[in-house]
Amino acid sequence: MAKQEFKSGVYEGEINVRDFIQRNYTPYEGGAEFLSGPTARTNKMMEKVNALLKAESEKGGVLDVDTERVSSLLTYPAGYIDRENEIIVGLQTDAPLKRGVNPFGGIRMARQSCEAYGYKLSDKVEEEFSFKTTHNDGVFHVYTDDMKAVRHAGLLTGLPDAYGRGRIIGDYRRVALYGADRLIEEKECDRRAYGKKLMDEANIRTLEELYKQIDFLKKLKEMARLYGKDISAPAQNAEEAIQWTYFAYLAAIKEQNGAAMSLGRVSTFFDIYIERDLADGTLTEEKAQELIDDFVIKLRITRQLRTPEYNDLFGGDPTWTTESIGGMGEDGRTLVTKTSYRILNTLYNLGAAPEPNLTVLWSERLPEPFKNFCAKVSIDTDSIQYENDDLMRPIYGDDYGIACCVSAMKIGKQMQFFGARCNLAKLLLLALNGGKDEKSGKQLGPEGESFKGRLDYKKVRAAYSKYIGWLCNLYVNTLNVIHYMHDKYAYEKIQMALHDTEVERFLACGVAGLSVAVDSLSAIKYASVTPVYNDEGIIYDFKIEGDFPKYGNDDDRVDGIAVELLREFHETLKKTPAYRGAKHTLSVLTITSNVVYGKKTGATPDGRAAGEPFAPGANPMHNRDLSGALASLNSVAKLPYDCCRDGISNTFSIVPSALGEDREERAENLTDMMDGYFSQGAHHLNVNVFDREKLVAAMEHPELYPNVTIRVSGYAVNFHKLSKAHQLEVLKRTYHGRI
Amino acid sequence: MQNKKGYIDSVYCGSGVDGKGLRCVVFFSGCNLRCPFCHNPETLCKSGQEISAEELFARLKRYKPYFKKGGVTLSGGEPFLQKEFLLDLAVLLKSGGIHVVAETNGTIADEEILSALDGVIVDVKNQEENDLCGYEKFFDACGRAGCDYTITNVLVPGKNDSCDKLSALSALVGKRGKRVKFLPFRKLCEDKYAELGLNFIYAGMREAEEEDIIKAEKAVNQL
Repeated sequence: MAKQEFKSGVYEGEINVRDFIQRNYTPYEGGAEFLSGPTARTNKMMEKVNALLKAESEKGGVLDVDTERVSSLLTYPAGYIDRENEIIVGLQTDAPLKRGVNPFGGIRMARQSCEAYGYKLSDKVEEEFSFKTTHNDGVFHVYTDDMKAVRHAGLLTGLPDAYGRGRIIGDYRRVALYGADRLIEEKECDRRAYGKKLMDEANIRTLEELYKQIDFLKKLKEMARLYGKDISAPAQNAEEAIQWTYFAYLAAIKEQNGAAMSLGRVSTFFDIYIERDLADGTLTEEKAQELIDDFVIKLRITRQLRTPEYNDLFGGDPTWTTESIGGMGEDGRTLVTKTSYRILNTLYNLGAAPEPNLTVLWSERLPEPFKNFCAKVSIDTDSIQYENDDLMRPIYGDDYGIACCVSAMKIGKQMQFFGARCNLAKLLLLALNGGKDEKSGKQLGPEGESFKGRLDYKKVRAAYSKYIGWLCNLYVNTLNVIHYMHDKYAYEKIQMALHDTEVERFLACGVAGLSVAVDSLSAIKYASVTPVYNDEGIIYDFKIEGDFPKYGNDDDRVDGIAVELLREFHETLKKTPAYRGAKHTLSVLTITSNVVYGKKTGATPDGRAAGEPFAPGANPMHNRDLSGALASLNSVAKLPYDCCRDGISNTFSIVPSALGEDREERAENLTDMMDGYFSQGAHHLNVNVFDREKLVAAMEHPELYPNVTIRVSGYAVNFHKLSKAHQLEVLKRTYHGRI
Repeated sequence: MQNKKGYIDSVYCGSGVDGKGLRCVVFFSGCNLRCPFCHNPETLCKSGQEISAEELFARLKRYKPYFKKGGVTLSGGEPFLQKEFLLDLAVLLKSGGIHVVAETNGTIADEEILSALDGVIVDVKNQEENDLCGYEKFFDACGRAGCDYTITNVLVPGKNDSCDKLSALSALVGKRGKRVKFLPFRKLCEDKYAELGLNFIYAGMREAEEEDIIKAEKAVNQL
């Protein structure tokens, strides 16, 4: 039987994946009963993969490193897990879990990461890079003393100045829909158009970038050829659609080692090809699931080489292969398809796992059976995060994806300059100390008056605003330097080739320690707080008398302080223009850096001891949100997305017995909880449903719990891969229960 | 409205096990019983915070977006002891379209209160007591008031898991076509007793395990 033709549309005349999806997809409103379990082939493949993962873990987290070559599209020969039985092919290097080195971001980091795992970067690579300027070199050629000082003190942390910046989602689907040749042709056309413009700095830069993009699209074709595939033309069936898309993603992770290399929104796109193959009898449900399972196996074994310091910030070796699932279309039809189910089903077929970072775009109007299925998967695996489609769709349309944890962008049309985050709690201490670092005593900010005696809220707040102004300016300028240099020395060639030539850019700034800063301000306002000084006159502790409202209990007196602080911070950021006309956005997200930030911050006026971890993201501080799960959610739901467009992360843990009597009731209640939370304009929820005791056991006997997956902060990790400090912090969090 | 202020110990927002759906639980202060296994000893005396029904309603209605199947559960303590306050609150909740049930010890068979509620959860206390006549009176009142009721019982091994106790319980509920939901006796409240300087009389009793519950369920609900 001949293949049914796809419905025509404007996507034929221009690059427009959304139009193709909208015209051709089949919404699915039924339940999970159609799903297939793993095939014998899949089980066999997983046995191999599990053995490799075990070996990796036994070797201290890194199985092997190729120190001889520099990672790129054509560096390694084809690699396989099990050549005979693989369906979707392609590895980052020539062997599974073997990590490549990528020194374009910085040679020092590449060298150190090799050494951390007992390897030595080859002389050949060292020599090659001795003649090259890396992104890291470029940044440090320009960094001012002030920039270096705030970075060193931990006021700004996690800046992408020594590795790839990531957080860019190529529209990998384009390769499947159009084939590489058509994409090259379109970029050539843009190049000719740019050639007619004035040769000013911006246009020359774009022309050079277009050259690089085209060059890498050609390399992408070559890379596929190494695996015996010709991707010049569009994919003809489901297997090819998945394979072509995967090749494009694979090229991106060979070329770049950004912290977050997210996938986008592929499931419903794949579903169109699967449905067509099912209709003409060339595919069965079992085989369709097998394709998705095999694709997901590949995504699970993507790796980058990192240093131990990097793991302090981003614990658990994450890659943020984020796939956005579901959501609603602008025309009111759901974007949930059977493949939305199939990709979630991999958590059963292959076992729970942290990657890919499965992200459900939640809408109150999602089909009820799908909501219920998601809730059950959450309860069973703790491997899904949820983001509010009803909040994002009006802004980003219905073909956006999530980069990393919570950063929304229109796929192929918008990108961001990842800006890590600044430490709000430490900044407050700086304000109280007249611009001095409370740890080192050094003058970091402009000299101001140091506070004496009982703190007066109004005066403290005014001083805080002054230092927010100072830091925001320095922060944006620092990011401008970083991203100028990244574009110059480590430009994302294949990912940007899979974007429109005219892209909209965001400067994604962030804050950490929100709950600590807010509770501290609340303590100063509602209780009596008096600083305690050391011999140098630096505040090292606080005397707190009386009680004060704490963020996380749905109390407007303190939640209002959080809202006001975020608004002020965002407004202040905007005062300093961003590189390449980027729009300033803000996130309330820490990844796992809340532990490092805590370490670098002295005692705070909320009663938090020096060095104690912050709460992650926008979470209320550990065990201060004691009015129940819904009160805690309500507090976070108040944080305004309109000024936090880069996302507001909330990681939530509830014990199963508090959620309902049985699995069915728990799923229903979890669904109601998300409907209630998101209907109030909340942005994100990481859901964990388990008893704290289970984690204590997993910490004590990691060998017995190799697959305990938990959501930490916008992503999931294998609990045993976290450092002890991170594990302890996770245990300290509030587990909403009811005794 | 009677505008009588009430005494509550606390409000807990987000329970999935105090009635249908997600619920906010209001813990009333003050109880007419002194059960030796009481899980909330902090609510025994009429103290805690004084609050008007309006104030409390304003707080509770913030959770309406979560109450698809759920609502508010009045617990305690014994909520039926604060009749005027309870009635005011129930009227406000109902006017706001919020489902309201109460957890009660079933000793106060007040039809006016029962009529104001969407349901009650009656905990039968047979651990130290064999006479269950009072519950007959309470269930009858529920029937007359048209108030739906469910029955719970805290299962304390060695106290009320004997054949006699279970068959008496079965007789009480069976003729009304009801089942008993057994709640396992737990000692997680020990810290609260210590903090309050109260003696936890059942400290030496064994906690109920899943097998105990299954056994009791079989004896009472499968007759």
